[in-house]
Amino acid sequence: MRTREFARFAAPSALLMLLLLALPLAITLWLSVRQCTPELALVTVVQTGPFGTETVTTQRARVDASGRPIESCAMVGLANYRQILGREPGRDGADAGREHRNEFWEALKFTLLYTFATTPAILIGGLALALAVNLVTRRLKGVVIAASLLPFIITPVVGALAIKWMFRDNGLVPHLLSHIGLHVFWMAEAWSARLLIILYGIWHVLPFAFVVFYAGLQSVPQDSLEAATLDGASAWQRLRYVTLPHLAPLMVFVTLIHLMDAYRVFEPVLVLTQGAFTASVQYLTYYILMQENNPFKASAAAVLTVVGISVLLLPLLRKTWREQRRGF
Amino acid sequence: MNPARRRLFWATAAGALAAASGRVAASTRSTPWVCPRLGLQGEVNLIGNSFPAIQHIARIAESCSGAGFRVRFKLTPQARNETELAFSASGVAPFDAAVVSMGVFSTLYARGHLYSMTDLVRKHGDRYGIEERMLVRVDGEVMALAFMQNTQNLYLRQDLFDRHRLPVPRSYADMLRAAAVIRREERDIAFPIAQGFAKGFDLATEFTNVFASLGGRFFVAGTAQPAFANDIGDQAVETLRSLLPFMTPNALASNSDDVMNQLQQGQAAMGVLWASRAVRMDDPVASRVVGKMAFAAAPSVRDGGPPAAHLWWDGIVMPRNGGPRREATFLVMMDMLSDAAVRSGNDLAIWVRSTFEPGRFGAGVDLARRAGARPWPGEPFFALAHQELGKTLPDALVGGRNPRSVLQTAAAAYLRAARDKGFIRNPASSGAAA
Repeated sequence: MRTREFARFAAPSALLMLLLLALPLAITLWLSVRQCTPELALVTVVQTGPFGTETVTTQRARVDASGRPIESCAMVGLANYRQILGREPGRDGADAGREHRNEFWEALKFTLLYTFATTPAILIGGLALALAVNLVTRRLKGVVIAASLLPFIITPVVGALAIKWMFRDNGLVPHLLSHIGLHVFWMAEAWSARLLIILYGIWHVLPFAFVVFYAGLQSVPQDSLEAATLDGASAWQRLRYVTLPHLAPLMVFVTLIHLMDAYRVFEPVLVLTQGAFTASVQYLTYYILMQENNPFKASAAAVLTVVGISVLLLPLLRKTWREQRRGF
Repeated sequence: MNPARRRLFWATAAGALAAASGRVAASTRSTPWVCPRLGLQGEVNLIGNSFPAIQHIARIAESCSGAGFRVRFKLTPQARNETELAFSASGVAPFDAAVVSMGVFSTLYARGHLYSMTDLVRKHGDRYGIEERMLVRVDGEVMALAFMQNTQNLYLRQDLFDRHRLPVPRSYADMLRAAAVIRREERDIAFPIAQGFAKGFDLATEFTNVFASLGGRFFVAGTAQPAFANDIGDQAVETLRSLLPFMTPNALASNSDDVMNQLQQGQAAMGVLWASRAVRMDDPVASRVVGKMAFAAAPSVRDGGPPAAHLWWDGIVMPRNGGPRREATFLVMMDMLSDAAVRSGNDLAIWVRSTFEPGRFGAGVDLARRAGARPWPGEPFFALAHQELGKTLPDALVGGRNPRSVLQTAAAAYLRAARDKGFIRNPASSGAAA
């Protein structure tokens, strides 16, 4: 009876998860090991248009009896993955291959840099901001909280555009820096372009960490704090031994959410640099899908992204899993 | 429903009906558009990129809607992708027609996704004054209706060129000389040249222009085999590199929006940019150089050679897997591409129709044509080469890699993509790049 009730309660959400999460993932997996190629034949045609007549070498799809282009689809195993990872047997142009940096590994490197640079920054920054706001008098709190949340509320693309306009040629920041003799072209070199995107990431996500920690601070047991004060604990000791342990689960939560988000960093890359020096894993998937127009290879890139996130989250998920089990 | 609510409901419904019929009546009386009077039925769906000229014809298309007939025009920056997906769908395409550039046209045509419009042009063409130069024919069949054109022109600050007695640059060498003078003489202009070198589409387009101006052919004649990793390719990369000292160090992140901005703000004195952007140079809201900008054909790379620019057209195509409203769609298109549409949006584009009156900003395509610019490469596999070049060329410009090896990387990546897309069938025969 209990099992049946449980099943009834859980079924709708399980079904939704199956439909919206598992099924797309399965389809993506299936697409990633396939490749469909239309059957084309080289032809020379005479084309006329606004610019006159031209003879053009083109290709034309072979069509079946009903006039539909013939496509041959095949399972290609891991070929799409090998192509993305640059592990193809018998690569074309061995010399060029050695010198050329594989775009996936470059993207992965930047994605990891972004993830591991922003995560501690938003944890520390968010906590500091929450502690500071907690000290502000009650009257000002509303205003300060609203102002701190603004970067998080702004749509990422709009936020990234605003930042881009501040940092481009003769933008506000380069203009101000030029007054003190610093001439920085933010999109010109790898270090500055990367720094810019990392700064954007911190600016955008810090309010999220702040609001979570601030909520946590409201529930710190006052009696423990008072007892600590009576025992002669300094402000630092109260923070270190009472407040921080209380906030620890929230830190895990923020880290978990941000790791997932950071690994999928996309908008600032698209808007700020269009991938110059800073392609991210997610940007690469987008590029393959939208520019190369190759859904099969893009699926392989998407699967690799999911694998990457899973690897990153594994330690945290294990910790959460253990805590949950202990709880029951 | 209680009585008060019921009254409110009927009042609203009657009001809406009156407004709708009033709008229909008004639109049939006072507009030059023909299609609202044709009594068309059903629904027509169109798609196109979102920029002013297409927004203009989209509004005209949607004004055809009336009782029993509805036209929807989807304006999206992802139009190319959505069009390719819709036209290749196994069922009925969700769009009855699409606005595409000539590059997308060649891909769609090659894949057999387009439906000929020859019969419709024969039936309605005369009545609507369709001009021969609007018809894009492949082996005689009308596969697209071209309505606007574009190219890249040289933008230059006439006031500065006059002040320093500089001639209009006819070649890239002239341009570099002029840039050196302007940088020396004009304290406010640290980077006299502004050009779209952003990684991806912009940089690949610059390379295409320069490479073709040098006489390069991207493919081995009659095949899809790449032929750009050679001496001409190296020379094209060197030409692009030679501009860098005169451009902002942010050049590799400067797309055409940024270039337009640099020119409008007076930060740069010259540069090659899309002709369609010329009109924005005199936009008093955004420009500090109103009345100061002049336009010329893009410079050649070799003295006396053709300009480093290509001619483009945008047109409307119909899918092979279209719905049942093919003729209704065509009649809507006739209004979108009519003389009245061109007249009411004269300055929004360089239109193909002869009614177009090129003002100071609309002569770009003629300038380029007279100087000998050729149409954008028509091979359907060119888009793949273009996209691989866009990805790898930054390494040759700032990465310090030698141009040949970067071009070889691009050629190898192109070969892989061309095989995935079926343009090259036998992997064994493709061999090493170039």
